Amino acid sequence: MIDPLSLTAGLDATALPQQLLNGLMFGAIYALVALGYTMVYGVLKLINFAHGEVFMIGAYTALFVSWQMGYFQGASGLTRATNPGILILMLITAMVVCGFLGVLIERFAYRPMRKQPRIASLITAIGVSMLLQYGGALVLPVSPPRSILEQVNPYDGNLSIPLKPRDGELNAAFAKAKEAEAAAKATLEQRIKQEGVSSEFDLSDEGKQIRSASQSAAQATRDAENKYLASGMSLNIPYGQGIMFLATLALMGLLTYLVMFTKTGRQMRAVAHDFDSASLMGINVDKIVTITFIIGSSLAGAGAMMCATFLGTQLTSFVGVPWGVKAFVAAVLGGIGNIPGAVLGGLLIGVAETMVVWAGGSQYKDAIAFVILILVLLVKPGGLLGSAKVEKV
Amino acid sequence: MKFWAIRVGSILLAVLVSYGIGMVAQGSSGTVSRLIALAGLYVTLAVSLNLINGITGQFSIGHAAFYQVGSYTAAFLASQLLARGTINNLGTPIPWVLAAVGIAIVTSGIAGFLIGLPSLRLRGDYLAIVTLGFGEILRIIIQNTPQLGGSYGINSPKAFVVPYVWMLAFLCIGACRNLLQTAHGLSFLSVREDEVASGAMGVNVTRVKVAAFVLGSAFAGAAGALLTFNEGFINVNSFTMDVSFIILTMVVLGGTGSITGSIIAALALFTLPEFLRDAPPMPLNAVLGTLAGVALLVGTIRLALDQKKLGRDFLTPKTYMGFGIAAVGGVIVSILANFLPALANRTIPSAELRMVIFSAVLVIMMLLRPQGIFGHREFGLGSIFKRAQA
Amino acid sequence: MKNLLGVWLTLAASAAFLTGCNPSTDTPTSKGSSSSDTPNTSAKRPNPPKDGPAFGETIKIGLVASLNGELKPWGDDSKLGAELAADEINKAGGINGKKIELLVEDSNSKPEQGKTATDRLISKGVVGIVGEVASGITAQIADSAFQAGVPVVAIGATRTDLTDIGSNIFRVCYTDDFQGPVMAKFGFEELGLRRVAVLTDKRQPYSEGLSKSYIETFKKLGGTIISEEFYNSGDQQFNAQLTNIKGQNPDGLFLSGYFTEVGLIARQARDVGLKVKLLGGDGWDSQELVSGGGEGILGGYFCNHYNDNEDRQEVKDFLTKWKAKYNGKLPGTTMGALGYDSVALVADAVKRAASPDAKGLMAAIDSTENFLGVSGTITLKGHAGNPPKRALVVEVTSSGVVFRKAYEHFE
Repeated sequence: MIDPLSLTAGLDATALPQQLLNGLMFGAIYALVALGYTMVYGVLKLINFAHGEVFMIGAYTALFVSWQMGYFQGASGLTRATNPGILILMLITAMVVCGFLGVLIERFAYRPMRKQPRIASLITAIGVSMLLQYGGALVLPVSPPRSILEQVNPYDGNLSIPLKPRDGELNAAFAKAKEAEAAAKATLEQRIKQEGVSSEFDLSDEGKQIRSASQSAAQATRDAENKYLASGMSLNIPYGQGIMFLATLALMGLLTYLVMFTKTGRQMRAVAHDFDSASLMGINVDKIVTITFIIGSSLAGAGAMMCATFLGTQLTSFVGVPWGVKAFVAAVLGGIGNIPGAVLGGLLIGVAETMVVWAGGSQYKDAIAFVILILVLLVKPGGLLGSAKVEKV
Repeated sequence: MKFWAIRVGSILLAVLVSYGIGMVAQGSSGTVSRLIALAGLYVTLAVSLNLINGITGQFSIGHAAFYQVGSYTAAFLASQLLARGTINNLGTPIPWVLAAVGIAIVTSGIAGFLIGLPSLRLRGDYLAIVTLGFGEILRIIIQNTPQLGGSYGINSPKAFVVPYVWMLAFLCIGACRNLLQTAHGLSFLSVREDEVASGAMGVNVTRVKVAAFVLGSAFAGAAGALLTFNEGFINVNSFTMDVSFIILTMVVLGGTGSITGSIIAALALFTLPEFLRDAPPMPLNAVLGTLAGVALLVGTIRLALDQKKLGRDFLTPKTYMGFGIAAVGGVIVSILANFLPALANRTIPSAELRMVIFSAVLVIMMLLRPQGIFGHREFGLGSIFKRAQA
Repeated sequence: MKNLLGVWLTLAASAAFLTGCNPSTDTPTSKGSSSSDTPNTSAKRPNPPKDGPAFGETIKIGLVASLNGELKPWGDDSKLGAELAADEINKAGGINGKKIELLVEDSNSKPEQGKTATDRLISKGVVGIVGEVASGITAQIADSAFQAGVPVVAIGATRTDLTDIGSNIFRVCYTDDFQGPVMAKFGFEELGLRRVAVLTDKRQPYSEGLSKSYIETFKKLGGTIISEEFYNSGDQQFNAQLTNIKGQNPDGLFLSGYFTEVGLIARQARDVGLKVKLLGGDGWDSQELVSGGGEGILGGYFCNHYNDNEDRQEVKDFLTKWKAKYNGKLPGTTMGALGYDSVALVADAVKRAASPDAKGLMAAIDSTENFLGVSGTITLKGHAGNPPKRALVVEVTSSGVVFRKAYEHFE
């Protein structure tokens, strides 16, 4: 079923390191969102279906902050921001708003259901998720979908990490081709002026020949550049996505510290291990659940803000759905309730999806996460790092 | 003798009622006719999922996938083997329809078997995500298979299937009900209550679980096949995750394990969004205010219910105060909303509001009655008689 | 074991039964989805089995729009456009003294619910239906309306074989068979592109159809399609596909999807260092294209029905009226103009209808000639529902979308 055309396009071994890196960078965001699922599941044994909608609210919060700071379409004299202040403000606001929303959802939708069968809380979660999607469509700007302007991000461009040095001669040839291109372009522009037409599309036939000369010069430049680039190898990281990756790692590190090395974290683990015993041991379970929701939701908010800013996500009230599903898969893959498992699951899915595209099967990209999940669960029914035990629904 | 009389009598009654419904549908407008058909399909879907989730206690949240398998099986067969010249009339001969339904039952049963197998090893949420994933994988495969219409969808001939839709619904209800009356049914229930204990008591847990999946998905597949002939066109968007969630909601809202609950919840949840199409447009601030007021009201009732459970009075001064706060809160929110420039003076057409109301009703129902409308109980004429006798 | 055997026997028997009873296929070309391969202008379109209702006190026109779900941005705009047209006509006194009553129903972005919506409109006695923006839903609308003998004017459904359903279905937009070739020609002849990569949204029939017709024409012109990659609507990371494409060193990249993903792709293409010309179809059209695509989208070309800066009176009037009615905002997507045109075209046909009923309206729509719409001149007479329309190629610049070249209809 795979188109032979796309098969030949793939399997470019020199692109493998770059694709692996792409996969890791994207998987990190899955992992960040998956952490929210897994933490809530850990303490409440509840699949928080509204988590994807928390992500959506986070993205919109970031959008509104950027609008407030003057970065909206049509603002006059818009230039790139010079410092990351706005980004940090957006991040913090998104995290705070999402944390608050998480607490609200927990307090008013999940806490009354805590003593009820789990499937009832699950339906409540689905209901809350739908309410936020459709209610969001009523009050949020969804048509047309908006996105955060790339100008808020002061870091434009790429970081190039050389793996294998490139051929200097080819570089010289590339530079030369560039010069030729510039010259051809200048000739063309002169011709446009000379003919007195508004654009290159209105040129006379003779002018069009000059245009095609300019076009082939541009083509030659691209070929020369490509040859030069192919002579070596390097990893290319767009600054925005690099920041996203580092921030994600930092947040995960912070979370690990919080969960493993603080008193609250210890309480959290105790609640996750045994809810009732923990409460008998004098742990304020409600407080711990609230903290869990704050942390999980604000991580989703952080992920949302970074995706919306650095990837350019177009926001509708349904934007959280694919994220919710994929992150849920990541959490289950790693063993739901298990924090390192969520990270592992997220990274694995990110890399797997990228590898499928690399191999030329981009039309099957969305299925691979589920295929891996089913295969893993057949071998390890509790997920990669989880443990399986018989439980009742 | 009496046994057979009741059997034959109820079968005849079901057939007659189905044809009656069919006559009503034929006599009414296109809208009503389609709604009658779809309502029957949703009843089948909810009752068949109830067999898996409610009666056997497995956790499937991807029921639309089996619906899809059946539907695409029928559509593929029909579009390949029958002339599409019949697309615009109801001319497909019923034997063909029934044959296609039969094959759809087989394919979706096989799909149910394949998904049921991992359920031997997987528990709870892990199984849930596998069923969900099956639907997603299916969608992507269909999207990439031109013979199945890809992302556009697939045309098929049509037929007037309303009586068969309802016969299927009655068959499904009857099968589930009778199952519960037998020793087999008890083994299903025992798996739900305690898998380990029922295994120890000699119940073949493996067989029960797989049987539940195969049966449930076969019914869903049959419903899918009838959907194809009813619509004449199907598309992957008709079987997305939210369809699965709605079916699941019907089961839980009706009361997991209660067949009557599933039926009533299916009918209610199916018709609610359709009725809401006729709702008048409303000012946004009033909507928000009402939502806030209802939320507070629900909170109050919920607290009062908890009090009642502890043996205290339901209606205390505190409860009345809660009602008051809810009313005042709603008004305050609606006034405040008009101060926000983004929200002020906006009217919301009913079409945009109906899904919001739908989800709000869902949350409220769950908060007020978490065990579902009927809990594990059944409701029927029989139970009324019994109660009257007692 | 015995049971299993029984199942197989039933299966085999029913399969034999089905194949055995296969009737003579009188319309082989329209079987399944294969009919998209054949041009439809020559196909004989079946007539509805019965005649629709007569005009009432008011002229009831139904609109089916995706007011919920993933197509909401387009659905909302089609509704605003349709309402604008209806208001304008009513303010001018209606048609022959009768007011237009626009009844709106939600399809929730789902074909099945689009059908319910249509059935409801028909039961309310509409004489004509306008909608939808997506082909899958429009097929359902057309089917229901066919049974009732009510004409349908599709707003933005570009799938080619859609109008084969019956003689009651028309559209105001061009088809995928036109805009794909336009962009292929433009890229090949004007931009000098020879090696192009294509990125298709597998979830949208629109995108698939457009990519297909683009690839066909581009190859015919002598160009090479070096790779076709895919994504699904809702995806947000395209680095993997773009890295693949970059390794192939193309001259251009054809993005056949909607602007919701095109913006992200443009930003990320720039990020991975893919500096090639971007091209696309009318799905790009949005006020938010530049805010979504950032610098990456600048210099991209797409095919559109009309252009805000066009020097035609219809366009200028339309934008003035739109701004006056909707707080100074511009239409978010091109569906605003097409929704407006659809209702205006139906209203124009009502004026010319020989008999005051759906059948007369259908005939009047079918005989529309040189209707001056916002999206260009529309002629339906003799074109089996598919008006030959002009397509504009526009360039995305930092100051907005600029008209570059117009293509008249060609085969």
